[in-house]
Amino acid sequence: MIELIALTKQYASTLAVNQLNLQVPDGEIFGFLGPNGAGKTTTIRMMMGLLQPTSGQINLGGYDLIKNPLAAKSLCGFVPDRPHVYDKLTGSEYLDFAAQLYSLPEKERNTRRERFLEVFDLGDWGDELIEGYSHGMKQRLVMASALMHQPSLLIVDEPTVGMDPRGARLLKRIFRDTADRGATVFMSTHSLEVAEELCDRVGIILKGQLIALGTVEELRSQAGRDADSSLESIFLSLTGGDTEPEAQALLA
Amino acid sequence: MTPPLADTATAGTWHSQQTPASDPGFFGWLRLLLAPRFMASRNRYKRYSHAARVRLGGFAVLALAFAGAVFAFFYRALSYFLAVPDFGPILTYKLLGMVFVTFFSILLFSNIVASLSTFFLARELERVVAAPVPTRNLFYARFAETIIDSSWMMLLFSAPAFLAYGVVHGTGPAFYLVTAATLPPFLVIPAAIGVMLTTILVNVFPARRTKDILLILAVFSVALLYMLFRMIRPERLVNPEGFADFTAFLNAMQTPEWAFLPSTWATEIIFPMLGLRDGQPLFYYMVLLSTAGVAVMACEAVVTRLFDKGWTKAQEGRQTRKAMRPVWETVLRILTSPFQSATRVLVEKEIKTFFRDTSQWSQLILLAALIVVYVYNFSVLPINGSPLVTFYFKNVIAFVNLALAAFVTASVAARFVYPSISLEGRAFWAIKTAPVSAAQLWWAKFWSGLVPLLILGEILILATNAYLQVMPFMNWLATATLLAMIFPIVSLALAVGASYPDFEAENAAKVASSAGGLVFMVQAMSFIGAVVTLEAWPVYVIFTSQFSGTPLSHSAWFGVITSLSAVVVLTIAVFTMSVRHGIGKLERLEL
Repeated sequence: MIELIALTKQYASTLAVNQLNLQVPDGEIFGFLGPNGAGKTTTIRMMMGLLQPTSGQINLGGYDLIKNPLAAKSLCGFVPDRPHVYDKLTGSEYLDFAAQLYSLPEKERNTRRERFLEVFDLGDWGDELIEGYSHGMKQRLVMASALMHQPSLLIVDEPTVGMDPRGARLLKRIFRDTADRGATVFMSTHSLEVAEELCDRVGIILKGQLIALGTVEELRSQAGRDADSSLESIFLSLTGGDTEPEAQALLA
Repeated sequence: MTPPLADTATAGTWHSQQTPASDPGFFGWLRLLLAPRFMASRNRYKRYSHAARVRLGGFAVLALAFAGAVFAFFYRALSYFLAVPDFGPILTYKLLGMVFVTFFSILLFSNIVASLSTFFLARELERVVAAPVPTRNLFYARFAETIIDSSWMMLLFSAPAFLAYGVVHGTGPAFYLVTAATLPPFLVIPAAIGVMLTTILVNVFPARRTKDILLILAVFSVALLYMLFRMIRPERLVNPEGFADFTAFLNAMQTPEWAFLPSTWATEIIFPMLGLRDGQPLFYYMVLLSTAGVAVMACEAVVTRLFDKGWTKAQEGRQTRKAMRPVWETVLRILTSPFQSATRVLVEKEIKTFFRDTSQWSQLILLAALIVVYVYNFSVLPINGSPLVTFYFKNVIAFVNLALAAFVTASVAARFVYPSISLEGRAFWAIKTAPVSAAQLWWAKFWSGLVPLLILGEILILATNAYLQVMPFMNWLATATLLAMIFPIVSLALAVGASYPDFEAENAAKVASSAGGLVFMVQAMSFIGAVVTLEAWPVYVIFTSQFSGTPLSHSAWFGVITSLSAVVVLTIAVFTMSVRHGIGKLERLEL
């Protein structure tokens, strides 16, 4: 379970996240939506200990991230928005490295590494240095590394950007399987199609504040839209980002 | 409501924009293609915090001090030459020739390396190559960038040398004007040759492999030159009495001169302006200028013909490279076996990434050359004389050697240990989000840096002391002191590295030469200075006692023990404080 209590992050003169309160129960796929610069990545980076909150509390699986960071982190698997990895390691070594950071026993490590390389279509590339990988391959490698220790909380920032349709489908299946096993999947995305298809609940953040929270149906009623409305139209109506007329003027 | 992106006045012009716009012309293209670089520099400066501007000011002061030192060196040497009758002008000419030959060689090499990046590897190139930019215009913009990248430092530090020539010889403004006019064509020629060579090389080998090969070759050459230069014992040149006769001295001063070298032409243009002898400066200037023109045209022809193929091959160069395997894996396992699981995996990663990065491991070649020359220097020290004088000198030198060896170790730490946090780069998130404590990461980095530095430092001190045949006390003290000092030196390097991380840096050398690197060196030097100062008195007292054969008094013993205890306390204090500070910094580090 993920619990954010009055989470706030202030950068110099910018309030990136403002008193954010949120609970995501076990076994749920939660979609964290919002326009660019709304505070999604900042929130996720605070949840993973990459940024220090200005104030507030983050509880991951019952552990306070500030007071008990190692216990909290050991429950999590993280996939950042950009797949930066150690280019001078091979894919196989990177998975091994990631698994060892989570103290996975050697036997399990070896079995899972081989299986994950196959599942993520990297079987032929395992012994090659990562510097030769494409962007999509690095993304698949990072996803594999996040799952090696079978986390009970999977936190993912923009998972489908730059993925081919096959990779995106694989991801969706993995997220669903992970949640079905009782783990929590917390995912920020710009792909409203993915969110609508996959997420049990959705939260929309705007200017650092949570402005909507619930199932897609609940959001429809919050936005006063009819039952056929897509998540995209709900999102645009809530965030005020409908630029269609301007785009038409530009292309005219 | 959001304002519209397109107003009605521009609506409908979209399709017409697809037809080629009017050509901005040669200088228009040049301005356009160079603009992002200048704008980026300007924006970077604008975004500097107050502290960063202060640091920048500090660097400017340092650069000025270095330029001042260059001026002082040339001023002194040239003034001395001026005072030597008959022989003075020859020395002045030789020095000028050596300056230009050195500049030309360095410029040639730095242009090859710089053009690999500016023409084939720079990140922004993809965008420019994809745009409808004529290759000729792209060539001139990139050529200008290459010259700027490879020559600015040379220009900056050659200025005080030329100024010294002008001041010592009391030349008029014509000398400075001629020098200023000579430098541009002189810079253009090695740039054109460098770019041509790179373009041809990239057409044969993948760009990244070419870069690695060039780097290894460069490091080997520098190491070899360094050792050769030292082993011909240039100090003999300043001692004419040591030569059999004056002719032998003159012969030794001869440097090879080739009439077809641009450095010779530049020397022949500038030297007559000093008024020491006549010459044909105009003729040589025309030769230099026309060669520069032809070189640029030849370079343009080569680049416009071979760029596309080379660029494509440079992209192919990003393909995979098989990693090293079995023996290494076993060696690594043995090396890292003493560590606990989390530390071991981090140490393994450190070693693997180090030995797979050419810009890192190739520096070991230089380090080996440094050790050879360092030890060699002690083997040729003129310390053979009467037994008493020899005993005195050997032990004094051994004590100075302690400070020197510590300084060398600190410099190596600045290059290898200080950048290690920054070198985690943008991949650092993997460790920061894992259940690994800052202390575990710290100790992994610490041991990875400490062990090689201990080996280096102790080799330096033991080998040189063996050459010096110092008294056992001195040998023991130097070995133990250096051993103890390396712990805080490594720790300080990591702590300052964690305080000034640069995760965007492209290589370790860049990190090492940053403001943080300087801060570390100042701290390390202060620490070494304090330890050596604290040990100087006890060493002197014990040395005098052994020298004279009289035992130490009680008060002397008390003083010795107090001083040596102060060294121990200082070493432990610096070590523990830097460990605590560094781990704290790592914990609070934001990505």
